[in-house]
Amino acid sequence: MSPSTSKPMLVVGAGIAGITTALEAAEAGQEVVLVEREASVGGRVLRNHQYFPKMCPPACGMEINTRRMEKNPRLRVLTRTQLESAERTGATWRVSLRRSPEYVTAACTACGDCSKACPVSVPDAFNLGLGKVPAIRIPHVDAWPRRFVLAPREACPSGCRLCADACKVAGAIVLDAKETHEQVEVSSIVVATGWAPYRMEKLPELGGGVLADVIANVHMERLAAPGGPTGGKIVRPSDGAVPKRVAFVQCAGSRDVNHLPYCSAVCCMASLKQAMYVREQIPDAAITVYYIDRRTPGRNEAMLEKLAAANVQLVKGKVGKVQQGSGGALVMHVEDVEAGRLLDVEADLVVLATGMEPRLGGGELPLPIVRDGDGFALDDRAARLFAAGVARRPEDVAASVRDATGTAAKAVSSARSV
Amino acid sequence: MASATTIKPARGFRSELARRGAADAARCFQCATCSAVCDLTTDDAAFPRRQMLWAQWGLVDRLVADPSIWLCHQCNDCSTRCPRDAKPGDALQTIRALMVEEVGAPRFLARLVGKASVTWPLLLGVPILLWAVLIYATTGFAMPQGPLIYGEVVPHHLIYLVFMPSFAFATVAAIVGARRYWNAWGDGGTRSGSLLQGLTGVISDILLHKRFEKCGAALPRRFGHIALFWGFIGALITTSLVVIAMYGFGAELPMPQTHPLKILGNISAVLLIVGAVSLVANRVTNAASGTSRAYDNFFLVLVIGVALTGTGAEVARYVLPASLAVALYVVHLGVVLSLFLTFPYSKFAHAMYRTLAMAHQRMAVQRRAP
Repeated sequence: MSPSTSKPMLVVGAGIAGITTALEAAEAGQEVVLVEREASVGGRVLRNHQYFPKMCPPACGMEINTRRMEKNPRLRVLTRTQLESAERTGATWRVSLRRSPEYVTAACTACGDCSKACPVSVPDAFNLGLGKVPAIRIPHVDAWPRRFVLAPREACPSGCRLCADACKVAGAIVLDAKETHEQVEVSSIVVATGWAPYRMEKLPELGGGVLADVIANVHMERLAAPGGPTGGKIVRPSDGAVPKRVAFVQCAGSRDVNHLPYCSAVCCMASLKQAMYVREQIPDAAITVYYIDRRTPGRNEAMLEKLAAANVQLVKGKVGKVQQGSGGALVMHVEDVEAGRLLDVEADLVVLATGMEPRLGGGELPLPIVRDGDGFALDDRAARLFAAGVARRPEDVAASVRDATGTAAKAVSSARSV
Repeated sequence: MASATTIKPARGFRSELARRGAADAARCFQCATCSAVCDLTTDDAAFPRRQMLWAQWGLVDRLVADPSIWLCHQCNDCSTRCPRDAKPGDALQTIRALMVEEVGAPRFLARLVGKASVTWPLLLGVPILLWAVLIYATTGFAMPQGPLIYGEVVPHHLIYLVFMPSFAFATVAAIVGARRYWNAWGDGGTRSGSLLQGLTGVISDILLHKRFEKCGAALPRRFGHIALFWGFIGALITTSLVVIAMYGFGAELPMPQTHPLKILGNISAVLLIVGAVSLVANRVTNAASGTSRAYDNFFLVLVIGVALTGTGAEVARYVLPASLAVALYVVHLGVVLSLFLTFPYSKFAHAMYRTLAMAHQRMAVQRRAP
């Protein structure tokens, strides 16, 4: 059977794993439908300032991928789209997709007139709620498709039409757009729904959600990124001051039976990388990483030398408590294991290296996913239901791309074995 | 490798640790959360992270040289937060029991009490049986006419004959154990000042249970422990004063229920029972209080036994047939004897070792002070 006559495969989630799976399969001749619930693709990776080990911004890698997507006739990318239901009969999955209303259409030129006219501010979803944006705006500077988004629609004042009135492009803004549904038949499904950061509010003893100057690693990415809420300037949230003492608390909620029992795999490298962000911006800052084990496998090991050269301290010992100190400082209570001493250390900014939770959520994803003991998805070859990226296991960008490539091969071969 | 340290793991220690209820200590991955969340640990000799490592490796020589395990009150804040559920609070509790066995003299008795899970019928039964045999040999359990007076069935000289040597033995054994342990903790180089100074320095802390106040997860235990502690002190004072009253002032036994010493004794008994019951209730209902082992429970059973059989015998004199009342009294004497004889080896020994460790800590801090 030739590939073109087989049914398409469905990839759920257009983060780096989903995009890679979809592209690899499409470039191998497979018809692919890639769905993404957000208005633009790129997922968590695009929310990083830089990624290790090469310390490059994710936008350039993403640009290569978007160009591949634009060029490929076998790939259909549906943003604002969620899986509504999925039912398998033999070798066929009958899938129902729900697309949220297309308030801003493909006619949009991303000129920005609507944003200027918009009277409402909403939390900036791309920047994890740090900072506010108009209800109608470009999701972020590298958004693909390059089109504005109106969300959440409920934030609009009743009867407000200011954006539509300001828009000079006919048919670009349709305020009464409706939700649409689409049925497709696919040969296999790849779950690439990725992860959610473990909520730091679950770590009140470490100041998570309690102390303003305790942030999570995902927030640090946004603080350091030029497109972030501070324009790329690392400051402490409470007063906007430049922190002179920055501490990273590793395994914040990971490798912990009271939270996530597994190692989230990326937090060590993420913190070491973020320590470099701080060093570059604040040359005289005291930077300390408190860890249980330094997990820098393979060529990531080289990062340790860079950090030593950058005078970043690494202290073995998990922080037990973070409390408000005097003069706006935070106080961390920790045992320096190698010295065998208990320390009360002050810091201006504490970054919790929170881990990854698989995002396979209950009702959100109506698929009979087989999970491993930690809640991550397993491949179910018989059901032609596969996993890619962090939906399968915690891993970094490079590993996620490798995994996604493998998944593409598995899914394509299963699609052709009808 | 001039700086190499040779370690001497004790091979059986880990399995003994597991057998005595601290198997989960093997899960510890040395993250040090426990030391960081402990409100009782000292800055320069942090616990329990190091002790967990020594226990995993079976480094008995390091554990025995470490007084800080006795500064732990098993609050279990560490166990609550432990990311591996290795239960450091429970582990230290077991390590303390093993150290009591380690320094206990003579060793076979320490082992016997250490294995209370198996040997408890012996530890309780032999003293009770001993009393029964001795009383049978002395008075043949001849019940006197008229109101029951225990002194007529169990002559006072028999009581002295048994308790005085037992008390002397327990005291000597306790001192030998304490000396061994004290010396293992350090010599003149690690402490300064006299032991007496050290002890007077910690006395108010002990009487008021000040350290216990810092306990988080297991704070409810403090109330029970205070009641039990003062019940003991009260019982001790009562006993001493009764002896003085008898031989110094010719007081007759039994004293009337209105006698101040009788009242003091009864208050002490009530405190003992309230304390012990509260501690048992806490063990049963409060998961954060940690796991109970036979070794710990044995001591608690003795305390409850002493208080219940004591007050029971007191009441039985009026309400039960003489033979039953005497039987209860014999059980009471047996349990008290068991409590005395096992003091240097049972959990009761914590009264001695914890006090010494607190004194040591004080003297060590003094030594380091500029």
